[in-house]
Amino acid sequence: MDLSNPMREVYWNITGKNLMYVLLVPVLVAFFRGFYSKYRLWKIGRPTRRRDNWRRRLAGFFRGAVVQEKNFRDRYSGWMHFFIWGGMLVLFIGTANVALDEYLGVPTMEGLFYLYFQSLVLDVFGLLAIVGLAMALYRRYVVRPPRLHRTPQDAVFLGLLLLVLVTGFVIEGLRIAVTEDPWAAWSPVGWAFAAAFRATGMAAETMVGLHRFSWWFHLALAFAWIACVPYTKLTHLVTSPANIYMRSLGPKGRLEPINLETAEFLGASNLRHFTWKQLFDLDACTECGRCQDACPAHATLKPLNPKAVVLDLRDYMHEYGPLYLRRAQDDPWAAPAETPDGRPVPVMVGAVIAEDALWSCTTCRACMEACPVEIEHVPAIMDMRRFLAMDQASMPEGMADAIRSLETRGHPFRGTGGARTDWLQGLDVPVLDLSAGGGTRGAAGGAGADGAGPDADFDVLWWVGCAMAFDERNQKVARSLARVLHRAGVRFAILGNREKCTGDAARRIGHEYLFQTLAGENVATLNQALGNGRPRRIVTACPHCYNTLKHEYPDFGGHYDVVHHTEFIRELVDSGRLKLDGEVRETITFHDPCYLGRYNDVYDAPRKTLKDLSGAEVREIERARESSFCCGGGGALVFVEERIGTRINQTRARQAAETGARTVCTACPFCMTMLADGLKTTSGDEVQALDLAELVDRATAPAGPAAVGAGTGASPGDGSR
Amino acid sequence: MNIVVCLKQIIDYEIPPRAFRIDRQKKKPAMPDASLVIGPFDENALEVALQLREKAGGGRITAVSMGPESAIEALRKALAVTADEAVLLSDPAFSDLDPFGTARVLGAAIKKLGGADLVLTGRQSGDWDAGQVGQLLAEELGAPCVNFAFRAEPGGDGRVRLYKETPGGAEILEAGTPVVATVTNAETNQLRLAKVRDLMAANRKPVPTWSAADLGLDPAALAAGRIEVLDLYVPTYDARCEFVTGETPEDKASALARRLVELKLV
Ligand code: SF4
Ligand code: SF4
Repeated sequence: MDLSNPMREVYWNITGKNLMYVLLVPVLVAFFRGFYSKYRLWKIGRPTRRRDNWRRRLAGFFRGAVVQEKNFRDRYSGWMHFFIWGGMLVLFIGTANVALDEYLGVPTMEGLFYLYFQSLVLDVFGLLAIVGLAMALYRRYVVRPPRLHRTPQDAVFLGLLLLVLVTGFVIEGLRIAVTEDPWAAWSPVGWAFAAAFRATGMAAETMVGLHRFSWWFHLALAFAWIACVPYTKLTHLVTSPANIYMRSLGPKGRLEPINLETAEFLGASNLRHFTWKQLFDLDACTECGRCQDACPAHATLKPLNPKAVVLDLRDYMHEYGPLYLRRAQDDPWAAPAETPDGRPVPVMVGAVIAEDALWSCTTCRACMEACPVEIEHVPAIMDMRRFLAMDQASMPEGMADAIRSLETRGHPFRGTGGARTDWLQGLDVPVLDLSAGGGTRGAAGGAGADGAGPDADFDVLWWVGCAMAFDERNQKVARSLARVLHRAGVRFAILGNREKCTGDAARRIGHEYLFQTLAGENVATLNQALGNGRPRRIVTACPHCYNTLKHEYPDFGGHYDVVHHTEFIRELVDSGRLKLDGEVRETITFHDPCYLGRYNDVYDAPRKTLKDLSGAEVREIERARESSFCCGGGGALVFVEERIGTRINQTRARQAAETGARTVCTACPFCMTMLADGLKTTSGDEVQALDLAELVDRATAPAGPAAVGAGTGASPGDGSR
Repeated sequence: MNIVVCLKQIIDYEIPPRAFRIDRQKKKPAMPDASLVIGPFDENALEVALQLREKAGGGRITAVSMGPESAIEALRKALAVTADEAVLLSDPAFSDLDPFGTARVLGAAIKKLGGADLVLTGRQSGDWDAGQVGQLLAEELGAPCVNFAFRAEPGGDGRVRLYKETPGGAEILEAGTPVVATVTNAETNQLRLAKVRDLMAANRKPVPTWSAADLGLDPAALAAGRIEVLDLYVPTYDARCEFVTGETPEDKASALARRLVELKLV
């Protein structure tokens, strides 16, 4: 042995190693067959493009699948998972190196590379993998967090993997013990095992025999484990990284439009109605339960659990998917009715996924934000809702009322008995007159003087939104914002009666038809209002309008520069047009509206403004920013009476009140409605909900009588009345 | 079973008084932008018809509306919730008809349709709220009339079973056909939402328009039954506050009494 060239003899003590390749054949057959049958199931879905823009995809792949950022949001599981998969990956590379050495003559098994990588690094990573597995077992079977459920499968493949790793070290230890490997110290774990074997006083022949047995045993276990991959949740080894690569790159807030003229089905009521990517999602789930933990509906005992939605659909696909492969006779979009032995196939929407579950979703996106493998729960839930809303005309009562009102009145507030411009009485809010030759006219039913010539007298179109216009509490926010805009010298106008609901409510209920009708009317109006002349922006105080105007109207010919009022106010402050001089002595916490934060990544603008308020102390709620907990009003649930479980808005109100803040600031009219109610029912008048515009109104109010009493509740500085 | 449902298109009844605009000269509402809706009880009538057709396992529902061109939207909505056909009765001679005239026109249309086993109307229109057309229509058709029905089922021997609201309960009647029923609202008869497929199909369905001539009605004769609106205004409510003074409680009381007498309130 040349002591200057570190090495080891590959396949020491092993005879008949070619048997290994014979054994590998069935393993590979099982592996590829498993994935092929999955592939056939995914192909049941409709086409969609998910391979464009490879640069962005690769960047996301790196963050999601390599660095695994989202996994590390939970430190423990982040490291645990990193140890296991990192260890496995390094060991796999080590094994591949052996093959390189053996068949291609690449000298991986000698020299410094052998010493540092093949011995030291592999040993360390093998140990880390064992540590990771121990952490996993401890967590799953001792800590037992609710988000993990336990199936026999989990125990089997965790145990199997542990055995594979341990036997690997046993083999190494025996080899070192018998061969008295001079470089043993470079394999510290193997060296320790060797020391242990020697300490037993085992005879060398016994060790040689044991080594040979362990080697084959290790091989068999490893092969069994690989064969298991496509048949257990280990599938995620392959599908999860792929899923991250193929994630949606579109704006988060955009739902895929349906071409209603050509649609052969509406929404999704069986597997054929999903895209192949939606079916692929199901097999990419790691069952980690992060989505379940994030879900406000699940936290308040609703029959919705995003993890269960994914897994139930997955099980349905695995069990009944093969029946879909036989083309249906008459309707190519129909689901199979029964199994070959005459059992009925359960209906997907209604039996596999309960209608109540679908109607409990606030579309808050917390699940998708939490999911480490980029599974898209919300579009899937929305597709099933679309089926219910459009094909079945079935939905909760409150939503049906909203739809009725939208159909006839263009706003979802049934029975408000108000007019769209009621809120601006007494304020100087110019209403754009889009009739021929119009300009703007003053508020209050045309009582004010006409503005300047047509098209010349405003820079910013303020999209007021139905909730701001019709809901009493939110009308105060609109009035505050009007005053703030005036103080900053912003030349703005509103559309008055020509504004219709953007259709967010209709769309999130699942009523795409009504949404597209409203979108069409609004796009025509907006294109007329903004069409000629210099580019103008749209400002809105409603994150739902914001999201729809910005991300969904482009599909219908409306391309606008849209800002949310929290961003706009920030700009006004930054540019010095708005001076936050007034004192606002409050402890404030900010509730992130889902459609502003998670959907549109606006987190900092409102916070910065709050911090700029003199006298204000800002505190963060535990679940803030990306992990914000929905107010309960999204997905048109603001119109529905919450009948099942506890109430989401009360849960959120308690979380906010726990900060000790006396003011919960938000920036969404639905959040306002939900939180004001939640706070009233949980903490009486102790804690109030205010919109950012109202706080800024206070901070910018001119000193004098108007400011007196500004702190007395929900209508700060309403002095211009 | 042939069912005819009479619908009236009206100005959105949710418009609050302060937003209601009237042209005092023409004595007509002046809100060109206002939404037009189906009268609320007429919607209930339509739902009762739809449920009856389901329970009977078949039947034919025809929606009929007398009104201006715009009323075709009300009929489309009826088609969208799967009424089988719709007819618009529109003619300048039909404007401002009193309930007798309206019943005459509707009656003529129903006869032209070949009669009906059951005719449903709302208990009142939702705008003028006269509440007479249903009964007068029954007269016109020579049929019995059941008021305040909220539910209908197939009865024995081709009869119709009608549930009728009474103070504190319901009466269940069986009527031979033809019969007219005016419908009131109940939890069970809020008009369903349309399925989108039906909604889109409804937009493509033809809706014939029948004029006075089509119905064989003489415009001059109809003109006799025209309503003349003397005045139309939004009622205003005034609140004034007056303090009644006096040295002693007795003084105050008698001062108050005097004031109330002056105001002719007692
Ligand atoms: S969007 Fe929100 S409510 Fe809906 S399933 Fe996901 S976490 Fe739950
Ligand atoms: S859907 Fe995503 S977050 Fe939910 S359990 Fe599966 S992998 Fe985890």
